[in-house]
Amino acid sequence: MSDNIEIDPGAARESGLVTTDSFDNLERMSSSLDEIKSTNAISQSEESNDNANIEQLDESTNYVKDSTEENEIEVSREWTSKSKHIFVLSQAGKPIYSRYGNEDKLAWLFGVMQTLVSFVQSSDDTIKSIHAGDTHFVFLIKKPLILVAVHKTQESEQQIVTQLNYVFNQITSILTLTRLKKIYEQRQNYDLRRLLTGVERLIDHLLDFSEKDPSFFLGAVQCLPLTSSVRDSISSAIIAACNKIKNLVFAILLANNKLITLVRMKKYCLHPADLHLIFNLVQASESLKNSESWTPLCLPKFDASGFLYGHVSYLAEDCQACLLLLTVDRDVFFTLSEAKQRIVERLRRGNSLEAINEALVSSDANWNGAGFPELRHYIYKSKSTAQFYQPPIGPPYSLRPRRLIDVYKRSHQRLHSSTRPLKLAFERSASEAVLAWDTRGFELYATFEPLTSTAAIIASVGKLLDWVKKREDKLFCLNAPTF
Amino acid sequence: MVTKTDIGLKNFFIFNSTITAKEGEELKKILYYYPITDHADVQIRNVGLVEGIINFTETFKPSSPVNSLHTSNSRQLYFQPEKDFWIVMTLHLTNQSKSKDGLNNIEQTLEDDIQDNVYEALLKQSYYVFRLFWNTFKSYKDIDALKVKLEKFFNPYLKCLNLAHADILDIFNGIQYLPLDKNTFLKVQCFVNHLESSYPEISHTAFLYNDHLIWSGIEPEDMQTIYQYLIGTLLPANVETELQGGSMPRNASSPFMALRHGRFITGPTNLKLAKTMGELPKLYLFGGAKSVEYYFVVYRALSATVCFFIKADTVLTLDFFKQLDELVSPKLISLVTEIAEYCSKQIVSPSVLPDAAPKFIYFNKLNLAYKSTVHLDNKHTGNLACSKESMRIMADIQEKTGLLGKSNETILKTMNDYWIVGKCSNSRQFYIALQQKNASLIEISDEIKKLCDSELKGIFFHPV
Repeated sequence: MSDNIEIDPGAARESGLVTTDSFDNLERMSSSLDEIKSTNAISQSEESNDNANIEQLDESTNYVKDSTEENEIEVSREWTSKSKHIFVLSQAGKPIYSRYGNEDKLAWLFGVMQTLVSFVQSSDDTIKSIHAGDTHFVFLIKKPLILVAVHKTQESEQQIVTQLNYVFNQITSILTLTRLKKIYEQRQNYDLRRLLTGVERLIDHLLDFSEKDPSFFLGAVQCLPLTSSVRDSISSAIIAACNKIKNLVFAILLANNKLITLVRMKKYCLHPADLHLIFNLVQASESLKNSESWTPLCLPKFDASGFLYGHVSYLAEDCQACLLLLTVDRDVFFTLSEAKQRIVERLRRGNSLEAINEALVSSDANWNGAGFPELRHYIYKSKSTAQFYQPPIGPPYSLRPRRLIDVYKRSHQRLHSSTRPLKLAFERSASEAVLAWDTRGFELYATFEPLTSTAAIIASVGKLLDWVKKREDKLFCLNAPTF
Repeated sequence: MVTKTDIGLKNFFIFNSTITAKEGEELKKILYYYPITDHADVQIRNVGLVEGIINFTETFKPSSPVNSLHTSNSRQLYFQPEKDFWIVMTLHLTNQSKSKDGLNNIEQTLEDDIQDNVYEALLKQSYYVFRLFWNTFKSYKDIDALKVKLEKFFNPYLKCLNLAHADILDIFNGIQYLPLDKNTFLKVQCFVNHLESSYPEISHTAFLYNDHLIWSGIEPEDMQTIYQYLIGTLLPANVETELQGGSMPRNASSPFMALRHGRFITGPTNLKLAKTMGELPKLYLFGGAKSVEYYFVVYRALSATVCFFIKADTVLTLDFFKQLDELVSPKLISLVTEIAEYCSKQIVSPSVLPDAAPKFIYFNKLNLAYKSTVHLDNKHTGNLACSKESMRIMADIQEKTGLLGKSNETILKTMNDYWIVGKCSNSRQFYIALQQKNASLIEISDEIKKLCDSELKGIFFHPV
């Protein structure tokens, strides 16, 4: 095992990210928060504050009358031709979210979905999916919610379930799972949308994001390529500024959906699924660019029962990297704000801001000149660090990058089928030749010109692995620094 | 330790919602229901769920009506063969199986063993066989008459349904042809033409040698179903011993000892003793615009089977069969001897091939021809030259080929280092299982090239 780590590019002994299969159901609830709080002896009085909102729930009873709407809805051709609908409803059938169209007007449809679910449930069974030609219906029952996807894409059921889990986690990250459950224990008929105003936007963004970014189906994160000395000096700047601050769990620096560094409290790791939610939050919230913000945030994989509090800010006007400082203390905004100032000063002095800016603009386009004439694009995932690298998408996919993602999704689903997993999948069509290879240490997905011979492909892949190995300390975060 | 459990049939029903819309009369919609032990309420419930699913899915304008429902414990498959008529088949996914000491029950999940494309094919086949003998559902003006016919057909049919050994071949539902040299083929055609011109009553003819088709005068879609019926049901029942050798006689003498003189398998089976014409099945062919009813007369001599399709309004007498027999028997026997001679020269017995040799399945969509060296016999008993897992991976590949364009190639390496290959070009599909551990992708693609050259001479595979 250990010699394997030496060989595989991008492998490391320790990782700040939880390495995982991308398909696990996010079911496990850890209690990291309690651990941290109790070790640092935080007063327990906060819990009561969390409950304050719930007590107010019962006041309102005026929810939409859905019976009259039934005949009004016209399901338009445009609406039915959407490639992927996502619906979220309560166990009682109350609409919570619809990706397209107005939930109130679609109330009847939510009713039908709830009926199907409970009908199958009544015979001690669980509905999973329905298939009708090009249209697939995937159900995910995650108490207290029901999530449904109706899609005309080629994704597998597993991949869709993963996406639905992300939607569920997005909702949890706003409310915490504990609160979500409590709400429905108290009032089955509750209209959750009142608590989720503004969250639709996050879910919309998450769905678009997860459809076009490979990190979601890979269960991994892409790093911003930086030489290891620069990355280390950034990490140490963060550590130097923060190591005196109690209860700071994670410091995350990211830019353009790529991770720059992650500094963590000893013993605790961040799950890629949680990090994706953070990426989504940063990307979807333009307002964060203007000022420092303080936001409660539940990371469902880390601890679904409570909030972390995040100090979120961009480094500087002239450096569009976003820094998140996540703590369990709810009132240390100013402490963290000062820490941020210290970090920026140090980075500026060390010329790290320029280095980040450079990495952001350099498109790394020269990889193609490295002697892979028939290689169009590739994704390399290092399993031990849950990180991946891909070069920018170029021709012939520049105009339709989604097509390439679809190709990779298909290959990924072949390799990772739940019952018939494979070691290698090669497919050749008129448009491209794709090699997908799963080994103990890494996964590789490579796209070639359609007529490339297998001999040339194998030769290319060998060279490519060498090339990635040579640049691994630039492409991946190989260290997992702690405070 | 774990006893191997089979995929079980939970229920199977046929209904038409347009029969009645009244509440309280739901039972009338159900034309056939298996098992009858299900209480009427359960039947109505099950039909209700299907109706709900049909309506729900239609909301999103899918490219075809609903195909399947997956739940934790079962798989339900749908087929709408005629407008408003739905056939539904539900399969169990979990079976209680006991270890030898009978102490621990192990819940076995079969979920991913049930591949939609395979079992949907089985469901469709069941309808086409019904239609072959009993015509379309719509042709019945009287619902009760249809119910009787459905009962009569499906009760025994479902008992014989081979759920455990269904595989990619069921998707193709293909026909095995016997390749002959020009001369021998012409002789077969002469024989058929001679018969058809001597007896204008005979509309069409089909000629088989063992389980291989040599000539068919009817539409391939019809022949497909008839072929399955002949090979799967009629011939084994009659000539079990003869078929065992397949088209490749293992010990040269036995197949030819069986029948020195030909005889009718349907109709008057023993002409010497016959006083009546015996039972003569009728069937419906749909090749033209509408269905036409025919008598189905099957004649067998040595290893050959000749099917005559005679318009159902023809008056047939015992004399007709006697004359036909006199004409056919001597000609057919000499013809068959010739075919057998040709075959014995051509065909390498499968036992000669080494075990590690690649096994393949070939299917041509244009003439529905298939060839398999994976299946060791024609009886769907799971007698395979490669693992079941490999068969399922082939069906997985088949399911995705549609996404890859007209010509494509897929090469997969399994967890236990076997290679499964799928190749599609020119409406032909070619699936190969290679059991070469330690082989590389390059060696495998060379191996496939060799195999295509030797087995599929003259078939052009696009470079991609």
